[in-house]
Amino acid sequence: MAPVLELRNITKRFPGVLANDRISLTLEQNEIHALLGENGAGKSTLMNILYGLYQPDEGEIIVRGRPIKIHSPSDAIRAGIGMVHQHFMLVPVLTVAENVMLGDEMLTAGVFLDRRGAAQRIRDLSKQYGLEVDPDAYVKDLPVGVQQRVEIIKLLFRNADILILDEPTAVLTPQEVNDLFKVIRSLVDQGKSLIFITHKLKEVLATADRITVLRAGRVVGSTTPAQTTEASLAAMMVGREVSLEVEKARAKPGEVVLSLEHLEVLDDRLNVAVDDVTLEVRAGEILGVAGVQGNGQTELVEVITGLRRPVSGSIHILGHDVTGASPRRITELGVAHVPEDRQRDGLVLSYPVADNIALQEYYKPPFAKGVVIDEQAIQKEAARLVQQFDVRTPSVQTPAAALSGGNQQKVIVARELSRPVKLLVASQPTRGLDVGSIEYIHQQIVRKRDEGAAVLLISSELDEILALSDRIAVMYRGRVVAVVDAETATKEYLGLLMAGADPATTPAPERRQRVEVVT
Amino acid sequence: MAESVLREVIPPVTEARHRSLWQRAWEAIQLPALALLTAFLVGGFIIALSDFKVLEALADTTSRLNAIGYILLVMTVAVLVGGTAFSRRPEIILSRLRFVGNVGQARWFGVVSAVLTIGAVIGLLVVIGFGPVLWLAWNAVTSAYGALLEGSLGNPLQIVAALSSGDARAIGLAFYPISESLVASTPYIFAGLAVALGFRCGLFNIGAEGQLFIGALTSVFVGYAITGLPAVVHIPLALGAGALGGAIWGLVPGLLKARVGAHEVINTIMMNYIAFRLSEWLLNGPMKRPGAVPVSPFIAESAQLPRLFPDPIRFHLGFFIALGVAAFIWWFLFKSRWGFEIRTVGANPNAARYAGMNIAFNIILAMCMSGALAGLAGANEVLGVNYNLANAFSSGYGFDSIALALLGRSHPLGVVLAGLLFGTLRSGGTRMQNVAQIPIDIIIVIQALVIAFMAAPAIIRAIYRIVKPGEGEVVFTRGWGR
Amino acid sequence: MRKSLITLPALAALLLAACGTTPPTPAAPTQPPAPTEAPAAPTEAPAAPTEAPAGKIGKICQVTDVGGIDDKSFNQTAWAGAQQVAKEFGAEARYLESQQQTDYEKNINEFLASNCDLIVTVGFLLGDATKAAAEANPNQKFQILDFTYDPPIPNVWGQVYATDQGAFLAGYVAAAVSKTGKVGTFGGINIPPVTDFMIGFEQGVKYYNQKNNANVQVLGWDSAKGDGLFTGNFESTDDGRRMGETLMDEGADVIMPVAGPVGLGTAAAILERGGAYLIGVDSDWYESAPEYKSIVLTSVLKRLDVSVVEAARAIADGTFSGGTKVATLANNGVGIAPFHDLDAIVPQKVKDDLPGIIQGIIDGTIKTKP
Repeated sequence: MAPVLELRNITKRFPGVLANDRISLTLEQNEIHALLGENGAGKSTLMNILYGLYQPDEGEIIVRGRPIKIHSPSDAIRAGIGMVHQHFMLVPVLTVAENVMLGDEMLTAGVFLDRRGAAQRIRDLSKQYGLEVDPDAYVKDLPVGVQQRVEIIKLLFRNADILILDEPTAVLTPQEVNDLFKVIRSLVDQGKSLIFITHKLKEVLATADRITVLRAGRVVGSTTPAQTTEASLAAMMVGREVSLEVEKARAKPGEVVLSLEHLEVLDDRLNVAVDDVTLEVRAGEILGVAGVQGNGQTELVEVITGLRRPVSGSIHILGHDVTGASPRRITELGVAHVPEDRQRDGLVLSYPVADNIALQEYYKPPFAKGVVIDEQAIQKEAARLVQQFDVRTPSVQTPAAALSGGNQQKVIVARELSRPVKLLVASQPTRGLDVGSIEYIHQQIVRKRDEGAAVLLISSELDEILALSDRIAVMYRGRVVAVVDAETATKEYLGLLMAGADPATTPAPERRQRVEVVT
Repeated sequence: MAESVLREVIPPVTEARHRSLWQRAWEAIQLPALALLTAFLVGGFIIALSDFKVLEALADTTSRLNAIGYILLVMTVAVLVGGTAFSRRPEIILSRLRFVGNVGQARWFGVVSAVLTIGAVIGLLVVIGFGPVLWLAWNAVTSAYGALLEGSLGNPLQIVAALSSGDARAIGLAFYPISESLVASTPYIFAGLAVALGFRCGLFNIGAEGQLFIGALTSVFVGYAITGLPAVVHIPLALGAGALGGAIWGLVPGLLKARVGAHEVINTIMMNYIAFRLSEWLLNGPMKRPGAVPVSPFIAESAQLPRLFPDPIRFHLGFFIALGVAAFIWWFLFKSRWGFEIRTVGANPNAARYAGMNIAFNIILAMCMSGALAGLAGANEVLGVNYNLANAFSSGYGFDSIALALLGRSHPLGVVLAGLLFGTLRSGGTRMQNVAQIPIDIIIVIQALVIAFMAAPAIIRAIYRIVKPGEGEVVFTRGWGR
Repeated sequence: MRKSLITLPALAALLLAACGTTPPTPAAPTQPPAPTEAPAAPTEAPAAPTEAPAGKIGKICQVTDVGGIDDKSFNQTAWAGAQQVAKEFGAEARYLESQQQTDYEKNINEFLASNCDLIVTVGFLLGDATKAAAEANPNQKFQILDFTYDPPIPNVWGQVYATDQGAFLAGYVAAAVSKTGKVGTFGGINIPPVTDFMIGFEQGVKYYNQKNNANVQVLGWDSAKGDGLFTGNFESTDDGRRMGETLMDEGADVIMPVAGPVGLGTAAAILERGGAYLIGVDSDWYESAPEYKSIVLTSVLKRLDVSVVEAARAIADGTFSGGTKVATLANNGVGIAPFHDLDAIVPQKVKDDLPGIIQGIIDGTIKTKP
């Protein structure tokens, strides 16, 4: 039987870049085909071509044996191709049914929206594929995972049978990821075919029927989960061997660098976000803060770095009371901050890499002489750090916006870690990054610890917390419910605490196996 | 609208290497240049269609059309529609028609087909009998724009003749149009810098007009109320008073924005009204010259910006002050750490806060400086050209300067160029009105169209099929191998 | 937004001379309401006349103030005069619009280089620029409307308007039409160009009382005190509405607002409530504000078009001279508009009285100012 979809020698050039280089790909009926690759490997370009957002310079798209041209998303839908973007395209103030109908309205008597009919169809679809959704709920009230289901229903509603999911797990909690995989399986079992774009190796191995790996715009290999391992996939993606475990020595905690006492913080809606938190981080150790996102971690970081004022409690850094101090004062005490949202807080995207490197210290020598900014000095330092931290950029004059996510993050890490650091606050330091970048950033964090800095690591990736931390604090609803030794913690145990289990009654885990390298 | 405009105003820093100076210059000016060209084209249509003779000929020709003429007219429209469609998206049409597989040369086809379409349409119209109409329209437009050019830049023949005659008065008259253009440009440069500086800090200063009025009031007051000072003291004092007045007028919305988050667009507009009414009241009362007319007294001669040539040439020192201030603003924005902070606050306030910058302070500073620049525009007019203040002293420099800052892409050099352009247009409009009898309002229409096209660059990009720079995710795929 | 923001201050300035009304085309000079046989001659010409060679008027050039050529007011009326000159003398008429103060000098300069036989500048805002240009170019003839110089400039015809004479007639008619025995007026600002109207109006009413043994009261102005009702601005139609309502509450049934467009608010208030009439100023509001046709009793006219034609004719005749020219009933430069639709409510006796009053004003037997 012919494949439902075939791409032949798709080539797409952008000025200065060959984004897709003769990519060929087939998707069989009832297949989950994972497209694996680092950020910037050309996955998104390829899918945008398939979805009609870009025109290929060369190559053919064949759907069910017929070559077609796709000039717009509506052409794609007509050919039965539907796509769920990484960033959802939903209108928050409309209901699920209205969102689903948008652009493909069901009408009664030719003019009136048939909300009831649409809602019924949505219910039928949810039942059929196990996509639980209330058609009358407002999208703004729905959790992210459910919003994603709405996006999938939108495609099913339009009778798409080739579904493209672009990084679908990036925004989901572990539980939601499991639900999504169930849905995917049920879709495929009922006759749909699916392309699944990701850079997460575990997910690929868990769900895909077939795997195609892209690197630098080319297909570097095709395989199946049975024939491969995480390590060899990573090597294929990156083009070299990658170590997936973080090698680090046992911590040698020193003096207390950061101490929080009975901290209470409100969020933007004036709800209590951080509730009576008392914590200490010592020099030479990594304290990981685990927790499902939205349990106060963001506010905790903001209050430590001076971006938010606490309502009560105190913060001391190296003995200085910095409760409610300005970000500048805190930075000058030797605090480095890798912010959670790098594009929102960490970078000025329109600025060149060099200016972003100078963002924290632009006002003092060597970057400024008096009030005059010394561009030469900035560019020299930037060039040095770009080299040292292996930031992939054509030049230090390239705007940060033009860099891939991983390289953007490396610009931030280069800036923050190149200063003498007493305390490193790293919030979601590897979110959305590819294996290669993750490996590098993890190494840098551990290096800072070994140099004697205190590290506060906030991450919603349990793997990351477990791999890096010396001690782990679990946050649930604004409170630190437990601080456990990383040696003894397991994913399951932490997962239970994160979900609100009472630590007193939760059985502590067995000692965990871990790689340890004594240096 | 504010945000979308701002996004366009401050162009992303383009990559320095890999591109020649010319390429970068072209990239910087292509959008403004094309916006201007389009505005002039539309303006030309308006001129032609508002010309009595053209309309008459049009009605006449239409009434004489016979059956064949109508068929040809329909054909013309068909050619126009088909040709436009083809020149816009040749690659799609070609591929749909299955002419070719590879449509790499589609852009070429587009240009050629556009030219052919225009030619064919003109040819067909002439065949039907619209030739005289087109000719009249052409004459109307060329005489209007010709007068505009002559009135703003002078008549080359006259300049050559004057120079060869060596007669000082003749030379003066020959260069009079250019000098007037520079005089008209000066307040535009100041006010454009004011708005551009605001844009750089992410602020939409609609209040330049009001700040300009206040600057004019304060400087004229210092100009006439203080006497007996030498010019070297009095001129800076009066200019400084103008800047200070404007700065205070900018400070209020700046404080409101920084402290309580009140939107500066609303507050600067409100401050405009206060400024207008205040100046009316002052000119009718405390600052009225003796007599019945609501005009201020003349400023002392020591406060007048020196004119550099004999009458009637009004070219004065203010122009050079404007250039100097533009150079300072360039240095301030791009070379000083204050400017770095202001630009960072404008480009990404979150990152600015993260980097320890004081956002409130920078907003206040930017609004004050913006106000001071607008105040200087007012002071310049009062001290350099009018020597007194009447209510009608500004035709809306403060509002035109928004367009100007957009056109100049919020860069001081761009603002100077755009200011020269606007001043030239304004100045040439007088001759156009006198000779071609086209209302000066057409200049305002052109300026308005420029704003519209700059605020909606997608229109220009669509018309001329320009690819947005940076589009198509410029990613650097080099993998991670060491 | 731009338009309104800019024109407001401009308009205000313009209107300070108590002018500027609203809509339309004064183009066709309305038939003089009260025809007189008085010859069109300048009433006084104290300035030394410039030598007047055999006149020709080949080109007449008008510089507007910031109101623009189609301001439905002074500039437009003056332009109608220039066009009439063009027709009558086969001349060329040109105008340049000023958009701001700096344009005055520039526009005059442009015309100085264009061989104009007469440069007409409109309004006091052009006073300084006209003076400077006239002094620098003594051979160029100028006419400035609604402004004059003291001491006079030999080559500038400074045209001012005895609006009190027109207002006197309006006051006489108003008093005759009033049923309540009360008529009202108010101004923009207490300055002579405004109060001249109010004084004339008051004197007209008093004259009516005296002649007809009546006791019609004037609300809103008292020459004895030199004060009355003023809105303080020339823009707010709301203020005009409020003034109109107040005056009507006090019993006035004929109201003359002397505050430019503010009067439109008064007209709207009258139209809504009924039972009162309006007297327009500057131009014939019956034509310029046709939505209020049914309540416009008459209007006090300032005939700028007549003045322009007069100056042109003086050039053609070789009698042009500088100095202050006062437009009066005698030379048709001021007057009142026809009663149009309300003709029937004006008593025939009043209509018959008017020619006599006009004659009286012209020959000085009737005083329009106390």
